[in-house]
Amino acid sequence: MLNTIVDTFHSQSDAILKATQQHITISLISLLIAMAIAIPLAILLKDHQKIAEGCLQVAGIIQTIPSLAILGLLIPLVGIGTVPAIIALVLYAIMPIFQNTYAGLTDIPTNLEEAATAFGLTKWKKLQRLELPLAMPMILSGIRISLVMIIGTATLAALIGGGGLGTFILTGIQSNNNADVIIGAVLSAALAFFFSWLLKFISQNGRRFKVSLGIIAVFLVGLGGTKLYQAVRPAPTKVVIAGKMGSEPDILIHMYKDLIKEADPHAEVTLKPNFGGTTFLFKALQSGQIDIYPEFTGTVNQQIIKSKVKTGSNPQKTYQLAKDQLAKRYQMRYLKPMKYQNGYALAVSSQFAKEHQITTMSQLANYNDEITAGFDPDFYQLHDGYPGLKKPYGYHFKDIKTMAPSIRYKAIANNRVNVVDGYTTDPQIPQYGLVMLKDDKHFFPPYQGAPLMKESFAKKNPRIVRALNKLAGKITTEDMQEMNYEVTVKKKSAAKVAHHYLVSHHLLDK
Amino acid sequence: MIKYDHVAKTYTDEPVIKDVSFTVNQGELVVLVGPSGSGKTTLLKMFNRLTVPTNGNVYYQEKKIKDYDLQKLRLATGYVLQDSSLFPNLNIQDNIAIQLEQQGLNKEKRHQRARELLAAVDLDPATYATRMPDELSGGEQQRVGIIRALAAKPAVILMDEPFSALDPVVRKQLQDLVLKLQKQTQTTIMFVTHDMHEALRLGTKVAVLKSGVLQQVGTPQEIINHPATDFVRQFFRGHGFHFSLGDLLTDGLGQVIPDEKLNLKVATCQKVEDLLTFCRDHDDRQFVVKCDQQSYLVDRQSVWDYLIRREEERA
Repeated sequence: MLNTIVDTFHSQSDAILKATQQHITISLISLLIAMAIAIPLAILLKDHQKIAEGCLQVAGIIQTIPSLAILGLLIPLVGIGTVPAIIALVLYAIMPIFQNTYAGLTDIPTNLEEAATAFGLTKWKKLQRLELPLAMPMILSGIRISLVMIIGTATLAALIGGGGLGTFILTGIQSNNNADVIIGAVLSAALAFFFSWLLKFISQNGRRFKVSLGIIAVFLVGLGGTKLYQAVRPAPTKVVIAGKMGSEPDILIHMYKDLIKEADPHAEVTLKPNFGGTTFLFKALQSGQIDIYPEFTGTVNQQIIKSKVKTGSNPQKTYQLAKDQLAKRYQMRYLKPMKYQNGYALAVSSQFAKEHQITTMSQLANYNDEITAGFDPDFYQLHDGYPGLKKPYGYHFKDIKTMAPSIRYKAIANNRVNVVDGYTTDPQIPQYGLVMLKDDKHFFPPYQGAPLMKESFAKKNPRIVRALNKLAGKITTEDMQEMNYEVTVKKKSAAKVAHHYLVSHHLLDK
Repeated sequence: MIKYDHVAKTYTDEPVIKDVSFTVNQGELVVLVGPSGSGKTTLLKMFNRLTVPTNGNVYYQEKKIKDYDLQKLRLATGYVLQDSSLFPNLNIQDNIAIQLEQQGLNKEKRHQRARELLAAVDLDPATYATRMPDELSGGEQQRVGIIRALAAKPAVILMDEPFSALDPVVRKQLQDLVLKLQKQTQTTIMFVTHDMHEALRLGTKVAVLKSGVLQQVGTPQEIINHPATDFVRQFFRGHGFHFSLGDLLTDGLGQVIPDEKLNLKVATCQKVEDLLTFCRDHDDRQFVVKCDQQSYLVDRQSVWDYLIRREEERA
């Protein structure tokens, strides 16, 4: 275990450093904004007890909303990425700072307040010379509470593409890689410790405090400067490519990047791997947060256009339906699909297969009462998932547990369930020696991957369209399984695996 | 210079000040004295508008207090609170100069003034100016509290029971300090206390209050010798003061006798001083004192006992 962690540290040191930087930046910006809101608010409300208590209650209620829910609620309002992450963190951080500042300011001994008033000090002078200095220890402790909380909660930013150390935790969980989870978790905890200590250190005497205020000012000016510079310099073509959770989309978007870079070396390509689920990505594409993402034909028909047309098992028809509907309803262009099919499949443990001598999905119906299935929540709910399967195959399994994709493989490996859903290209099927059952009634629609983008983007960037079309009809199911295996099990980086494939298949020169 | 004109204050139907009128002249040290809850602090705070009368007006130099610019008025008024109430986050010289800072005086001049004042009250500026308040004893802190009130050279200083938390020795030192500073600067001072010793010792004029009603205003001598109401008499007597010779004799110094007592010298007295003069001039062990158409038999020894007891109490 320790070795794996050390190895990961070495092989991914750049990514770790970058994630840490992102994490710190998101946290500190959120903290500064929260301070800029909470402290002046507390100052304004210190003489208005009723309003202040109202505010405290509102802030308290916000605090009780799970952070995940806040992130979800913010997506339709502000989209995805760093901005909503920061907004959510700010909402969380306001409460402790406001509460402590308010308590500190209203807790000034009355005789001192009276003295200050009787001397004819203005409100501002009172604040500057008496109230703020006396409330400062309380304010600082509020800031510390918020900071520690922000650094912990910022790991959730990864869920909506905000980056940071949460990316490691998330991909670690997805790919069943504990080293990544531990690195993400330990680093974020270490950051919380460090900053908490730092704040204590600088608040211990006046000079340190002033120096650190200066540093924060420089930091802010620097940040403003960089943003300004980015705004004024001539913009190269910018492409944001996102992928769903897992190794396969990750490999694909790295291929897209390599191909685009070759066609336009000045293009600025940003990858957002493990960005989220279908609906989320599609919305991001619609709102212009991202420009391209790889999508499967079957998924388009089932989840996006929600087609009632039965396309059967014909891949061409399926693609055509998806392409036409996307263009008509959403003004999107769906490029040509790759060769491999990544459809749903049901798999059983080899022991179960042997015991009952089953190889096809029809045979499974004979053992309804013995089956505890572990299904992806999507699969459990979708037309082309379990609900659709019930009738043609006559399924009514005894027990069904829904769980995250990576966990259901663990569950079957540990004999907690005996049937799972999966994708034909999943590397865990050979890894755990599972038996994939034959879809003998041809229920599952074909799933072929292809790049999806807005029509306007495609028109504006014909070079990118040409570059991506190079993948049309390429990559077999075996190729994909192998690449998934390299990334998930052998822990090679998706970038390297993708690059290697492109070069060895002469899609790229070097 | 300061005139309280039929002033009254009511807190939610509860009258705390009832129709009080008196005047304070330039350079006077007026002591407002009375038991707790008598409204003396409320009255004091009407001058710098920390409380506002519900009826009547306070005038300062012929102009209603409520017509003054509040901040200007307060900046030009010194204020000393019960516990020194120094700002714990500022050092001594910044504390002293806080009003000057608000007036916009530059730092150098402010600190110079603070140091002058420290030296004037026997606190070495070199050691005290940059100390923090919690490094000073209670007496030193209140000393700083007093000179903080003087820093802006105010025409009027308000003192709200400034010495009530201090031990008797320090209290006496600070009372002396106030008397000295008042003599030097000729500042008008309004001073609130519940301690009648302090009132009589400091005041050029004493105003006695009870339950929001002004009982008497006068010099300490007038108050002692001619208490205007029973309350004033009781208030001071209960603490070892006897104002009239008649009361003193009735209270046990003498023994009431019929007029025709023989063979004893007769002293006809109006005041305590007359009795003392008689005792000084005559050696008789017993004598008769005639006061307010009444005759008392008095032991010479008990007069001395009374004098000694009074001196002890005053110390």
